Order: sequence, then structure tokens, then C-alpha cells
Amino acid sequence: MNIVEVENLTKRYGAESAVEDLSFVLEKGTATALIGPNGAGKTTSLSMLANLLSPTSGKITMEKDVSLGFLPQYPQFFPWLTAVEFTELAAKISGVETKQARLQSIQTLEFVGLESSLHKKIGSFSGGMKQRLGLAQAIVHRPNLLLLDEPISALDPTGRREIMNLLKSLQQDTTILYSTHILNDAEEMTDQLLFMKDGRLIEQGSLKEVKKKHANPYIQIKFRNHTSALEFVGSHTWKCEVEENLVLIPVSNSGPTMQQVLHILSTEKQDIIGVEFQDASLEEIFLKVVAAK
Amino acid sequence: MDQTTMIMALVPIIIIQLALMIFALVDLVKNPSPNGPKWMWGIIIVVINILGPILYFVIGRKNY
Amino acid sequence: MKQFFMLLKKEQLENIRNYKIYWIPAIFILLGILEPTTNYFLPQIIESSGGLPEGAVLEIPTPTPEQMLAAIVEQFQTIGIAVLILAYMGTIAGERKSGTATLLYVRPLSFRAYFLSKWTMASVISLVSVWLGFLAGYYYTYLFFGEVELIKVLQMMGTYSVWVLFIMALLLVASAISPNSGFAAAIAFSTYLLIQLTDGLFGLNWTFSPGKIPQYGLEWLIGAPDSSGLWGAIGIAVLLILLLFAIGSWAAQRNKAKTKV
Repeated sequence: MNIVEVENLTKRYGAESAVEDLSFVLEKGTATALIGPNGAGKTTSLSMLANLLSPTSGKITMEKDVSLGFLPQYPQFFPWLTAVEFTELAAKISGVETKQARLQSIQTLEFVGLESSLHKKIGSFSGGMKQRLGLAQAIVHRPNLLLLDEPISALDPTGRREIMNLLKSLQQDTTILYSTHILNDAEEMTDQLLFMKDGRLIEQGSLKEVKKKHANPYIQIKFRNHTSALEFVGSHTWKCEVEENLVLIPVSNSGPTMQQVLHILSTEKQDIIGVEFQDASLEEIFLKVVAAK
Repeated sequence: MDQTTMIMALVPIIIIQLALMIFALVDLVKNPSPNGPKWMWGIIIVVINILGPILYFVIGRKNY
Repeated sequence: MKQFFMLLKKEQLENIRNYKIYWIPAIFILLGILEPTTNYFLPQIIESSGGLPEGAVLEIPTPTPEQMLAAIVEQFQTIGIAVLILAYMGTIAGERKSGTATLLYVRPLSFRAYFLSKWTMASVISLVSVWLGFLAGYYYTYLFFGEVELIKVLQMMGTYSVWVLFIMALLLVASAISPNSGFAAAIAFSTYLLIQLTDGLFGLNWTFSPGKIPQYGLEWLIGAPDSSGLWGAIGIAVLLILLLFAIGSWAAQRNKAKTKV
């Protein structure tokens, strides 16, 4: 079930193209990470989905009962309102009844860890508190589609972890699309990856698919020394590389499986220190894909 | 001008000046970061009649 | 309608917490007091400055109370309107420029309610300020120059209020179409001057011109304005205000893409 379908979305400013021919779908209840360097068109794409910008061409189709929550990269607040006054106003404009709006505001502010600042003026908030408030206003009306522009990049590692956990807990009943350039975090919460560069989608798929396509995993055997590594390589016909005391065997259809390798090592009584399965990180894959296009 | 007229003319001005001064001073005390040194605004509010507090409200305070 | 009231409450909180609700009326009261007071003390001021050459006879005609009230209107028309424009130029443009509007614009916001709530709050504060200013001026005029019938002053204030509502609608449209507050003020100022200039230069027979409303207001003090002219001008002003509502809501919606994300 698709909650959002984006077809050939394009945004140009004069001759300059910010987003070019972007197509993807968001499946209900999934989390999608929009990944790309600065200036890739992530914010422009999210702004169009949030109905702030109208596309030059292309189409965005949303399911009928979509209720949307949006967190800009640098959310700006009325400094003279208190946190609870603001989330309440936000909820009410999004159609929540007055009484319920109050209740949900308090719950949501507690959820993001602002329970001790409910009645403080937003003007006195620190950057981290504003980021939390930004998340609170995005979810206070219980939307089923959340668009988050760099929700965690402005936070310190502890805050990042906390917000990431909050987002993961929302995932059950919300479809999430978020942009980020912190790829470790993306790896943690993603059913779909969208790589953007220069306004274009250059790769998309699930983490597994993208890894399979680009990651080139290998089995790494660590020997006691270089000689025994060479000895091992000499006695087998697999395609492999030797680096000092390491032997690297790419995982492929023609190569051995981990099981086979372990079996051989145990029967041959080689002089080894360890065997490991090595996988490329999302960051390495991303750099590779970006460099290739 | 007789004295009654004088008093009747002065009383409203004094009331307005006092009200504005009190509002401005209360805000100045609570304001964590006014636009400029606090003591300077204190003097402006107290010394310049009516216009002092207005100046403070318009340019002395940041927006909260 | 529901959104109108929640947004009006937000505007109200804003005007209280940034103290506009205090300092704008204070300025109008000051303008109202200053005019009769300085006029009353003018002879003494000139005398004490010792600027008169020997033998010169100082003859300043004492203004009538009606002339005094007209002078106060003159002050409101220049300094007063300028203060209102500066106070409310950023109402929409400023919210967009700073990005505070973004978190409202991504919601199912009624831009008509949005525009009207802002116009309503700015108008309430402007009208209260103008009335308090007139009443203060009226009081000092009464003290120093003599009485004018209160009913005449109220009729004058009522008529002038329509003009203020019109100017506020104009100002908020300027704020809705402009990229920033300064631009909005420039548009509002120049339109304001243009209306008065064209009415003054060519409008001798334009009895329905809204630009004549302040003048009609003053005519209450010395009799009564031409009734068909007065109601015609007010009618056209109301129509223009409604038209400005439509333009303002439309422009605010259209410019939502310009909010800082």
C-alpha cells in the first residue's frame, strides 16, 4: 500500500535545476532515508512534498486521509510563545479539538523530553531544545506521514541517539521520510534508501539491495604472518588478495561460502588468528555511488 | 492659567508616565538580555518622561 | 472561523508580549496631548527664549478648540500613521522572512483566517490607540481652549476610524506581497501618499473618494459633512477593504513558497 507516489518530480529556478525527474514511492509504515551531499536537492524535495513549494513539473499523489507532520532543518519558532502554547496552536490548526490538543501537546512534549519546559518561553530555549520542540510540533497532531529534514544532524551524539530511538518508536504507525547525511543513523532506521546527487536520484532500494549491489563483501582470514598467508593462497584456486598477513576472499557466486572456508581451515590446521566477514558500511557505499555517477 | 487647570493638566500625564515607567522597569528587570546595558536603559526609562519607556519597548527589548 | 479565533488568540498574545499593546497607545496619547499643550504654551516658550526683537509685537491668534482637534488629526495623519506602518509592516512578511511562518504553512491553514486574524488584531490596537489619543487630545483642548460638544468629537472619531481600518488593510496587503518588512513599509507609505496626493490634486469633485474620509471627519466639528459624500466614501472604503482582504489572503497563500525552510 503506497501512501505517497512521486512521479518525475522536477523543480527548476530559471535554468537552474534543483530537483530533476525524481520518482519514488513511500509504502505505508516504512521509513525512507533520503541521502545526499549538501545541495543535492533534499530540502527542495521535502518542501514540495510538504506542499510548501509547487513543482515545475511532475506529480505527487498522496493517499486521501494523509495527515502530514513536517520538521524543517532549522525550525524557527515564535520566541514569545511557551512550548505548550505553540504545540497546542499547531495541533489545533491541524484539526485537533481544543481539549484534545492540550492533552496531546503535554504528552508529546513529555515524549520528546521537554516536560520541565512546558511553560517556558521558546525564546529562552537552547538549540537542542528547539530541535526537540521541532519534533514535537511535527508529531503533536498524530500524523501518519512524517517528513523530517535532517532531524538529527544538529544534535550531539547523546541527543542523536535519543531522538533516533524516539523516531524508531514512532515507526509502527507512521510513514517516515527523512533526509540525513549521517549515514550510520540511516543504516539503523531504513526500509528504503534514496541517494540523491545534483537534484537527481542516483540509487534507490532497500539497505539489503543496495548493499548487495555495491558493497562487495569479503571473507577476511588473519594469519600469524605473511608467509603462512601466502602458503594458504598458493594451495587454493579461489580469487583472493593478500595484504600482509591478511587474505581477503570476495563473496561471489563462484567463490567459497563462509562455511566452506571454515571447514577447510579446520581440516588444514592453518596458522590463523581469526576469520571475519567484512561488509562495506553505508558510508563507503554512498561515497562509491556518488563518485561513480 | 489658574492652579486647578494646571493640576488637571498634569495629573493624566503623571499617571501615564508612572504607568509606562513601571511596566518598562518591571520588564527590564525580567529581561535576560536587553539590547544594551541594563543600567543605561534604567536611566533612560526613569529620566526621559514618557518617551523613555516607549524607546525601551521599541528598541530596548528583544522579542520575548 | 474556528481557525480565525485560534490565530487571533496567537496575535493577541504576540501584541501583549511584545508590548505593542502598551507603547502604540502611549504614542498616540502623547501626540494627542502634545498638540494642545505646546500651542497653549507657545507664547510663553517664545518669550522665554528671548528671541523677539525690541518693539516687535507678538500676536499669535488663539486657535479655536475645533482648530486644535483638526491639528491633532493632522498629527495622526502623519506621525500616527507612520508609527502604525512601522509597527505592523512585518506582520506577514517578517514571519515569512524569519521562517516562523513555515510551521504554520505546512498545516491545513486557512489563509483567509490567517490574514483576517492579523488585520483584526492590528486594527483593534490601532483603533484603541487612535481613540485614546483623540480623547486625551480632546481633554487638553477642553482644558486650554474651551469646549467642543462630545457628540461631535465622537462622530469625528467614528468617521476617522473607517480611514484607519482602510489603511491597516492596505498595510497588511503590502506585508503579504512583500519579501520583507522594509519593502512592505515602502509600499504602504507610497500608496498612502499617492491616495492623498491624487485626492488632493484631482479629487476636488470626487465626493466618494475614501481619501476624503479624514476631512469629512473634521467637518463634523463645524457642522456636518455632506451626507451623500460621506456615506459614498465610507461605502467605497468598505468595498475596498473587502477587496484588500481577498488580495491579501490570496497573496499570503501564493507567497507561502517564499517562507524560509
